[in-house]
Amino acid sequence: MKRILIVDDEESIRFLYKEELEEEGYIVECAQNGEEALEKLSIFKPDLISLDIKMPVMDGIEALKRIREKERQLPIILCSAYGEYKQDLTTWASDAYVVKCADLTAFKSIIRKLLGLS
Amino acid sequence: MFNPSNTYDLLKSIIQLSTSSIPIQVKLDRMLQSISGAFQSDRCLLLKPEKIDKSGFLSRLVSEKKPLWVEDGASFQKENILSEEEGLLCPTFACIPLYDETSFQGILYMGFSKRYKFSPQEVDLLRLVGEAMGGVIRNDDLRQKAEKTISELTALYEIGKAVTSTLKLADLFESIVAMGLKILKAKGGVLRIEDRRTGELKVKCNVGDYHQNPLDEKIARRVFYTGTPLSFNHSGEEKPSFFTLCAPFLSKGRILGTLAFYDKDSDSSKFDERDFQLLLMMANQMSCTIENALIHYETSEMAQKHEKRVKELSTLWELNKALLTTVNFEQRILMTLAAITIGDGLGFNRAMLFLVNEKGNTLDGTMAVGPDSAEEAGRIWSVLAQRKGSPSDLILQLLSSPPKDSVLNSMVKDIHIPLEQDQCILSKTVLEGRPFNIQFPQSKEGWLQTRCERGCHLGSEVGCYVGEHLSRDPKAYSFATVPLMGKGTVIGVILVDNLYNQNPITEEDIRFLSMFANQAGLAIENASLYRNLKEVHQELKETQNLLIHREKIAALGELSNSIAHEIKNPLVSIGGFARRLHRAIPDDAPEKRYTQTIMIEVARLEKILTDISNYTRDESLSFKECDLRKVLEDSLSMIQERIDTGGIELVKEFSEEIPQINGDYFQLKQAFFNLINNAYQAMRGQGRLSLRLHPFAKNGAYYVRVEVEDTGGGMDPENLHNIFNPFYTTRDSSLGLGLPIIHKIITSHRGQIEVDNYPGAGVTFLITLPSKEGNEERHNG
Repeated sequence: MKRILIVDDEESIRFLYKEELEEEGYIVECAQNGEEALEKLSIFKPDLISLDIKMPVMDGIEALKRIREKERQLPIILCSAYGEYKQDLTTWASDAYVVKCADLTAFKSIIRKLLGLS
Repeated sequence: MFNPSNTYDLLKSIIQLSTSSIPIQVKLDRMLQSISGAFQSDRCLLLKPEKIDKSGFLSRLVSEKKPLWVEDGASFQKENILSEEEGLLCPTFACIPLYDETSFQGILYMGFSKRYKFSPQEVDLLRLVGEAMGGVIRNDDLRQKAEKTISELTALYEIGKAVTSTLKLADLFESIVAMGLKILKAKGGVLRIEDRRTGELKVKCNVGDYHQNPLDEKIARRVFYTGTPLSFNHSGEEKPSFFTLCAPFLSKGRILGTLAFYDKDSDSSKFDERDFQLLLMMANQMSCTIENALIHYETSEMAQKHEKRVKELSTLWELNKALLTTVNFEQRILMTLAAITIGDGLGFNRAMLFLVNEKGNTLDGTMAVGPDSAEEAGRIWSVLAQRKGSPSDLILQLLSSPPKDSVLNSMVKDIHIPLEQDQCILSKTVLEGRPFNIQFPQSKEGWLQTRCERGCHLGSEVGCYVGEHLSRDPKAYSFATVPLMGKGTVIGVILVDNLYNQNPITEEDIRFLSMFANQAGLAIENASLYRNLKEVHQELKETQNLLIHREKIAALGELSNSIAHEIKNPLVSIGGFARRLHRAIPDDAPEKRYTQTIMIEVARLEKILTDISNYTRDESLSFKECDLRKVLEDSLSMIQERIDTGGIELVKEFSEEIPQINGDYFQLKQAFFNLINNAYQAMRGQGRLSLRLHPFAKNGAYYVRVEVEDTGGGMDPENLHNIFNPFYTTRDSSLGLGLPIIHKIITSHRGQIEVDNYPGAGVTFLITLPSKEGNEERHNG
């Protein structure tokens, strides 16, 4: 059972992702911002993190940097409403950049690929 | 023997003859016959005074004024008798001198072959008869003199009448010489007048070949400088004999000229003292008239000059007045040319205007006014002749109904002459800044026969574009050029000719035309400056509008971007849960359709948000050297499969040499893909899609132009000005945000996008991008 940490400030998004991914058979934990994600990292020990970028307290870019300091190999998906952060070189430190979409098919297949399930 | 009874008959006959009106010679002959008959003499003669030699006995008789009676000729002393007088020595003879107090008329001679004794009555009778004959001769002399004097006086009167009846110099001089010839009975005459400007004596009128005499001019000059009349008789053997009379015209102490006559029309050709006096009288009488005529001539000449100046000035004023009614450049040029061609203006047949193009360093044909054929010329002139009004009115009338475009005008507009070489008369006029008056075939100058290297299309013998193209017969083409002066510089050339009426172009015409050209030049230059100013003003206004537009778009973009962000997350979860519901609902439940609708609509909203986000996103572009041909080919390949399998015909026209541009390959590819895709979709599977790619230059910069043309029926003209507005087009789902994005990409490449819309037919998008050179230049700038 792979463990996925969903980091997003939007309650509805967290809810949707949790429902969808649990249905796929993952163990899903949620965090509201970067800071909370860093706290849950050592407790939950996820196999993969989905990071929203625009968040209060600590945004996804900052969180990505901090996580990468500890976890070099952990797959991280940057997940944003739009593609505007693709230009930021820091985003290259992630394993994937996904633009949020109601259709989660692409998102799910990226997760499977990063977890070596397909 | 003398019969005394004959005395009465003789006296009767003599008296009758002396009072009769028969010619003098006949009269004298008949008198001699009567005398001879009465005296029964063998010889009866009348010896004329000029035939009497001064050294003979007859002359002694004349000086003694006594009759001589010799009854015995043998006893007459023979000394002092000349040989020619010997024939008179008859056995008996009588000589009666005929004279009165003032003159001597001759000698009446009577001779007898036999000795004869005169009775006292006979002597008395003979004396009486002699006196009668003397009286007849004297009367006749007096009559002749009186007649001559009368005829001279009449002639002088005629001269006086003739010369006072005219103030025309030529007529006056002619009548003076003609009258002089008549009065003096001369073979020739010559009248000279001093030229006031040069001080030289000039022949004004002459009859006969005075110039064959080498002395004629010298004599005239001497008379002129000394003021003294001269009578000159030359009868040498080497030179032909020459007789001349010359008198000065003196008026108020000033010498005006000379009047000379030569060779009297008589056997001796000599003039006598009387002729000389007559000439002096004539000269005196004429002097005053000549002076008056000269003054009149000079005054009227001056008046004419002034009148001409005044007319010129008023014409200039009129033309200027017309010119100032407009600041429109084209109209001012048309007016200028019209002013040059109308009869009340400068009156040339045709006028052409060439302006200096500083950018290209060429002289460009700008406009021409004038008929295309002689028939048209005649028609126009007869129409113009009926119009009334001042020149300015005529010009304004002309403007209100401008003539249709003539062959001449379109031909002149095609003329572009390089300015750096001066073989062509037009560029020479500009370079030297002076007028040229070319009158053929009299003056063929060397440079006209050389050929211009380019632009001028020279080739005829005349060697000049002007001659070859503007005239039917270049070899006989006469024309003039004047520079058009702006403020201190030559801004163009005006070329004029009189092709149809062949009036010669005078230096005076050129002077006036130059005067006008100076004024017109300023007017045209001002109009040109005004036009430029207007253009720049318009450009500024457009730029300002564009800036305002961009500001608006940017503000809207910012707003919409933040809205899009706010909406995206809820939309994702709406869509996400709709999908979840969708999966949960059994396939046959009616709710399945509801969730389906939510999903589709969410997907559409998501696309719109992505487009908005893409549009407003300020991505920094990655400019690299970029091959537009490759960009287009790659864009096309994304849709190629669909085209190949559908009913769309694809036409590609790509020029060989396409300069590289500076650009972002991916963005350009996106832009052109969108354009091609739009075109494809607009045609709904049927039509022709044309792609064109070619380089071009403008104002010295280089560009590449892409044209995407479809046959999809075009757009509603009402929407046309809004197609690049992102929020307008969102209502039309088929266009989406494509065009605003394309517009943004092109403008961020410093390019330009234009639309040619043909409602009912199709649309052509024209994209212009600066080439690499042009782009770099602008970036640096």
